[in-house]
Parts: sequence; structure tokens; C-alpha cells
Amino acid sequence: MKKNLTFIGIFVVLIFGLTIFSGCAEKKSVVTSNSAQEQDAASAQTAAKTTETSNLSNATNPNDVTSTNNRAQSASVETTATPEDSVRDINFDFDSSIIRPDAREILKVNADFLLKNRISSIVIEGHCDERGTAEYNMALGQRRAQETKKYLVNLGIKESTIRTISYGEERPLDPGNTEEAWAKNRRAHFLIAR
Amino acid sequence: MKKNYLISTFIFLFCTLPIFTNSVTAKVYVDIDSPTFQQIPIAICDFGNQTTSTTKAADFGMTVSDDVKKDLSMTGIFNILNKKSFLENNPPGNAATRENIRFSDWAAIGADYLLRGNITQNNKEIIVESRLFDVTRGEILFNKKYRSDINKLKALSRAIASDILLALTNDEGDFSTKIAFVSKKGSKSDIYAINYDGSELKNITNHQSIIIAPRWSPDGNFLAFTSFKSGRPEVYIRNFKNGTEKKVASFEGLNLCGSFSPDGKKLLLTLSKEGNEELYILEIETLKLKRLTNNYSIDVSPAWSPDGKRIAFVSNRSGSPQIYIMDADGNNVKRITYDGKYNTSPSWSPHGGRIAYEGLINDKYQIFSVDENGNNPLQLTFDIANNESPSWSPSGRQIVYVSQKNSKSKICIMNSNGLSPRVLIENSYKSVMPTWSPRFK
Repeated sequence: MKKNLTFIGIFVVLIFGLTIFSGCAEKKSVVTSNSAQEQDAASAQTAAKTTETSNLSNATNPNDVTSTNNRAQSASVETTATPEDSVRDINFDFDSSIIRPDAREILKVNADFLLKNRISSIVIEGHCDERGTAEYNMALGQRRAQETKKYLVNLGIKESTIRTISYGEERPLDPGNTEEAWAKNRRAHFLIAR
Repeated sequence: MKKNYLISTFIFLFCTLPIFTNSVTAKVYVDIDSPTFQQIPIAICDFGNQTTSTTKAADFGMTVSDDVKKDLSMTGIFNILNKKSFLENNPPGNAATRENIRFSDWAAIGADYLLRGNITQNNKEIIVESRLFDVTRGEILFNKKYRSDINKLKALSRAIASDILLALTNDEGDFSTKIAFVSKKGSKSDIYAINYDGSELKNITNHQSIIIAPRWSPDGNFLAFTSFKSGRPEVYIRNFKNGTEKKVASFEGLNLCGSFSPDGKKLLLTLSKEGNEELYILEIETLKLKRLTNNYSIDVSPAWSPDGKRIAFVSNRSGSPQIYIMDADGNNVKRITYDGKYNTSPSWSPHGGRIAYEGLINDKYQIFSVDENGNNPLQLTFDIANNESPSWSPSGRQIVYVSQKNSKSKICIMNSNGLSPRVLIENSYKSVMPTWSPRFK
């Protein structure tokens, strides 16, 4: 009898316990694939694309004297600094601030010009194409200007004469949304004050 | 024997107690955050007009119920049933009480909830009585009286909509909020703000310059942003109370606005003054800086967690921009996005838990969300536009974002599960970088 009562007590407790748990709402969630492999594949793709674009620009650039620097440019940070025909823009790959081989050649020519002429200050503008995030591009443009500055300093330009500014994706050279326009817009541009 | 009996009774009582107390306090709310959530079907009857005097304006009842419908449909979580489908028309006289509603008639047309009400005009004053019913249970959920000036019926309707939302979802919604965004006209930009319902578009900055990264303070009294007004990127804070603007960061190189701390006293920034783009905490009052990251890579777009303990940000330290989370002191950096080669613009859901961001998939930018520990990534937008810059509403139930296609861009709002997208603003200017305000009192 005593035992029976105890059992009934425990039984009732168990039943209630169960109802509590079954009462809890089941949480459902949709999961998309989250594999490390996919990432590898993606980075391999980027690498492939990078070589592709750099080949393309190598093919078009060398004899292209009417490059990009004659066109209208954004307002300068220092009103005295102006674009200079002999100092050409350099271009970058998508989402990259690495100075490409073709850009190194241009920078050498630019540095020669800067060293031979009496230059009081240089402003390097970093620009991006319209794709991607405005904020991230603002940082990427800064990085492009910064990397360009480092390269010029290594070529003998005085660090204190160089200032950098990023315009992110806000001042495209070519407003189009084609691969060609984007390639032109990913650039470092130079303003010179004598 | 007696002892055993007592013990088992005691256990029985102890375990059943919480159940009984629960049944009194715990209400069951519609789980609208579930990925399987379907819109709540609600029938809203025209409010009956009880005004006895001859000056009675017959259409006020309809004005109020129509505004409630508009407000509710903006939330994206209601399916407002067409009144032509109603089997039972609004009977004249008193708003129906529970006893004389045939709930089966409402269930038959698919309504889960029913709103009825009546309206009385007393000179310049309008008194509205509204009742919300649960059709499936045949219960009344609330019965409330609202009073307002005859010219402020919109606010009254909004109060009813807010109460319905509160009763069904335990949250008052986003009715009293604004969205700030950058509007580009050629090479000139400014920050504008617009009400959640699309009304009252206003220019906030009037800089006519490059402006990016607008961020609200947690009390809604300040807006921080980066502007090129003086020729280079510097961070400003605008004070809405006295209409002044203060420059808070103008270091060499990049000065990019991050986000306010939950207490509103600090501001996260991206600065390049030491060569790399690094994250800093700025104490707004003293302008004291504390560096958070130290990495040869781009670190940008920091966002504080709602509890202030952690910071989400974008870094390309792995070779491509990805979302990371760290403690608010810069320690314990963890990567949380792994799919794709471009994931940026983290926005922390206001109740914590999820982070919305934009990611590149099939050559388009789309909005995603992911658990703050990196689990359960979920794609929210799928159309052929580039969808970017997500920002959560204070309720955590909606996300505002920019949708760009063929050099045109518009600001859209969707439910946080990606459903029910609607356009908030679309005009001849490029509208970008929307950011949702806190609730205004």
C-alpha cells in the first residue's frame, strides 16, 4: 500500500515532467552548406581570375600612352597639387592592393620623373571599382595608396613628401559597369605640386 | 509509511507548481522568427461608428481600420484578409462582444485573429474601442479604449497596430523608428532620414560631399558618419538636439566611422594613421583612443554586440574579406564566415544571436545571416540585383538593405527571415548604406 502510493507519486511526477518537455517548442533551422572545401575552391577561382585579368591589362597597357591620367579627376586634397601627364596611373586587380608587374614598370618611370623634377609634394589617391562594399572599398583604396607610396619610397622618393588619400569607389574614372570600366577604376592616381 | 507518502506528495507539488504558475503567466506568442513562419492571417473589420449626434462623420471608422491595416502590413508579418471575403459583416450597434461573434465563420475564411472596434466622436475628440480576438480559441485578447484629437488619427491607428503586435508577438514593433541612408546626386552625397512608414524624408547633413557609413547612437540623439567635407575622410558626430556637428577624428590617412557602443559613450573607428587600416575605440567625451587590432591586413566595419561584450568586423587577413568576431578588448578573434570569397558589412541583431552581412554568390552580392558563433548561415535574398548593407530593425524582425540593379538603387525592407520584401524609397538618386534608428519615444 505504502509502496503503491509512492509509485503513484513518482508516476504522476514523471507524467508531468514529460508534458513539460513535450511542451517545449521544437526549434527548426535551415542550414546552408558550410564546407571548408568550398572556400578552397573559391580561392582557387580567385587566383585563376587574377591571372586572367592581369594578362589582359598587360596586353593593353604598355603602348597605351593615352592611359587614364588625362581625364577629369576628383578634387584634390591639396589645391596646389595637379595631375601630371608624365606621371601615369597604375591599376590593380579586383580586391587586391598588390603592385602588379605592369604597375612596377610605370612606377619606375614615375619615380624617375619625380626625382628629376623639383617636386614639393605628391598626393597618391587610391580608388576602387564599384563592386563590393563602400566601406571596405574605402579601406582598400587607402591600402592601394599606401602600397604605392611604399613602392615609390623604395625607389628613392622622400617619404615626407608623399600623402595618401582614399576615395574608395566614390570617384570612378569610367562610370560604366563593365569589366573594362572596373579595370580602369581600380587605380592609384598621382597629384603633383612643384 | 506516512513519511513516504509525504515525500511523494511533496515531490508531486514541487514539480507541478511551476506548471500551474506557468499556465497563468506564460503566454504563447507566435514564433515569427522561425524560418518556417507563415504570415499571420488577420481579419480587420471596419470600425462601427457610434456617434449619435447629427455631426457624425461616417467614414472615420473606415479611416482608422484602414490605417491599422496599412501599419500592420508594413511589419511584413501579417496577411490582412480582404474584407470582401468576410461572411459576417460588421453588425451595426455595439462592437461585437465574444458572445455574438460566430468564430467558425471567421475560421472558415482563414482568419486566425479578428479585430473589431467602434468609434465615437465627441466634438474634436475621437474615442475608439478596439477588441482583438483569437479566432481558433474563441477568446478575447484585449479590449482597449483609445482617445485622440480628431487630427491625430494616424497616431491612434498606430497605437492600435502596436498593441496588436505586442499582444501577438510580445514586441511593440518598429513603428516609431527612422532609417538614415546616403543619397548620391552625381558626385555629391548627403545623409537623409525617412520614417519607417516612408513619410518625412529629410536631409540631415547638407555637406554636398562624399559621405559614407552613417551610424545612429543608441538613444537616437546623435548620428556619426564619415564625410569628405573638408577634402578628406574625417569622422563627424551630429547632435540632433542642438543641430550642431563635431569633428571627432581627423588623423592622417583614413578616418572611417564604425559603430556606437551600447552605452553611447564610445565609437568604433577604422584609422590608417599607423600605416595599416586598424580598429580603434574612441571615447567620445575625452577623444581618447584605444587600438584594438594589430594585423597586417585591412580591418574595417566594426559593429558592437548588443551587450557590448564583443565586436564583429571585416578583415582580409585570410586573403579575402570575411567576418570576424572578437572580445571588446580585441582578444579572442574568431572567423565566422567561410562560404564564398567576399563577406562584409556585419550588422548585429538587436537581441543578439544573429549577424546579418552581405556576401558574393554567383557574381551577385546577397544578404545573409549567421549565428554569432558561425553556425547556420542562411541566404536571405535571391533576386538578380546586388543586395547590400543590411541593418536590423530595433525589434530584430526586419532588415533594411539596399538593392542595386543597372546603376539604380533603392532601399528595401524585408523580414529577418528574408520574406515579404517591400520598397521603402526609390527615386532618381542613388540611395545607399541604410541604417535603422533605435525606437524614438
